[in-house]
Amino acid sequence: MAFWVPFWGAVLLIGLLIFAMVTVVVGIGGFFNVRSLFESIDRQHRMEDEEI
Amino acid sequence: MSSNLLNSISSNFGAVDWAIVGLYMLGTVAIGLYANRYIRSMSDYIVAGRSLKPYLAVATMIGSELGLVTVMYSAQKGFTGGFAAFHIGLIAGIVTLIIGLTGFIVVPLRELGVMTIPEFYEKRFSRGVRIFGGLLLAFSGILNMGLFLKAGAIFVAGLTGITNPTSVALIMTVMLLLVLGYTILGGMVSVVLTDYIQFIVLSVGVIVTCGIAVDRLGWTSIVETVAAIHGEPGFNPLHEGGGFGPSYVVWMIFTAGIVSCAVWQTAVMRACAAESTSVVKKLYAWSAIGFLVRFMVPQFLGICALVYLYQNDVTRSIFFSVDGAPTGNADLTLLAMPVFLSQILPAGLIGLIGAGLLAAFMSTHDSYLLCWSSVLTHDVVAPATGNTLSTRARLTLSRIFIFVIGAFLLVWGLWYELGQDLWDYMLVSGAIYFTGAFALLLTGLYWKRASTTGAYLALVAGAGAVAGLTPVKRAVGLDAFTGAHIGLGVTVLALVLMVLGSIMFPDRSRGETEV
Repeated sequence: MAFWVPFWGAVLLIGLLIFAMVTVVVGIGGFFNVRSLFESIDRQHRMEDEEI
Repeated sequence: MSSNLLNSISSNFGAVDWAIVGLYMLGTVAIGLYANRYIRSMSDYIVAGRSLKPYLAVATMIGSELGLVTVMYSAQKGFTGGFAAFHIGLIAGIVTLIIGLTGFIVVPLRELGVMTIPEFYEKRFSRGVRIFGGLLLAFSGILNMGLFLKAGAIFVAGLTGITNPTSVALIMTVMLLLVLGYTILGGMVSVVLTDYIQFIVLSVGVIVTCGIAVDRLGWTSIVETVAAIHGEPGFNPLHEGGGFGPSYVVWMIFTAGIVSCAVWQTAVMRACAAESTSVVKKLYAWSAIGFLVRFMVPQFLGICALVYLYQNDVTRSIFFSVDGAPTGNADLTLLAMPVFLSQILPAGLIGLIGAGLLAAFMSTHDSYLLCWSSVLTHDVVAPATGNTLSTRARLTLSRIFIFVIGAFLLVWGLWYELGQDLWDYMLVSGAIYFTGAFALLLTGLYWKRASTTGAYLALVAGAGAVAGLTPVKRAVGLDAFTGAHIGLGVTVLALVLMVLGSIMFPDRSRGETEV
């Protein structure tokens, strides 16, 4: 138990810190990706229309 | 049962919180309606036109995997297993990172351009394997989500303090109808958008909640109470005395590690929807921390619930036996975390967390409903009818399947008696598919001699994992074995039969089927 208590405490703390950073980065980057997702699908539909 | 117990426990959930939840739900449905304008083909519907870029792919992967059901079963594992349960998240994170760095299974799948795993079965083996594999996948997947509604109902009851079972059932039905509505309309585009919003709300919410829990209980008190209740097995996952042990850890490396990110269809769908193979690798590498946290944080909340409920005389008499051990009642251990949240979170914040988790509940449902209805349409009905179905017919069929599966979930959730931890139920029900699927993916992608006969044998062997469900185990006299033993045994059997079947009955036109 002497090994496991500090080990799990460190894993939890490090995991939460990295997750907080990932949340910020992915949250901001994801917003711009949403816009490009709509643009991309619109572009695909336009190309399909032109082929028809 | 739960309603009587809840009468003696108050909740901080109030009118403001209901308003927050209501607005959140309406907003989610509005997104589904908006996304419907972008749906024109099956590709738009299932994989969002294969247009997902890295950040959004990561957000939707984590958003989808960090669902209410995940939070519930992980919290239950933390409650029943203590800190030792953390090994599940640690394994999931490390294996996902390795898969992101190596591209194991997911990159070759994306290179093939398939939308579902059964589609790979046809490309690599035969149409018959695809239909059979698709049926098994859908059966296993639908059974796997069979208790989602029940878990959701327990969460709502625990968090809000609503004691009337009819009211809870009504709330769950309305939520299911909302999910059905926006998934049927918006397909993968609406799933991606709702997952993104949920990712933001829930990520911030769980981090704040952990901070409040530690502030309220104190780290030293948490550790000491877990030690008093569970002893050494509450910290050491390799200790045989608790609910885990070496065989369970190996089972977790396979299931929580490899299967959950590289074999399970809902996760693989994200890889298939990615813009390129390099995005796939980034997606998995970045999602590794999400796979760690999605288990570990709810488990920690389950541990905090264990400590909080143990220290209160009223709740101790409900959630613990006279000798101080946690109750063996699976419904009660599921109830512990939401009850804990209802006690420590202030009004307003509890509404936001509740809305985030209820949205997570809806998000998991939409992903799974879309996934299994797509498999039934795309991999069972379409190939069985010679791929003559039009795009319109496929979309209509998918939407009908979503509705039928939703009806099944309502019935199964009310009827089935859990009898084991929810996480273990989900692993066993999922194993009906993934034990065989793993053999097909591993050998099909990396071994040229893998044959159709071997594939059939492996799928049939994998279906034997159903023996790990508690009622089935009792019926066939396998009580002496745990779900982990049965799952590992079936996995090895499927691999052995895949290899033997391929060697003894090779495909005649192997050169044409290689990928």
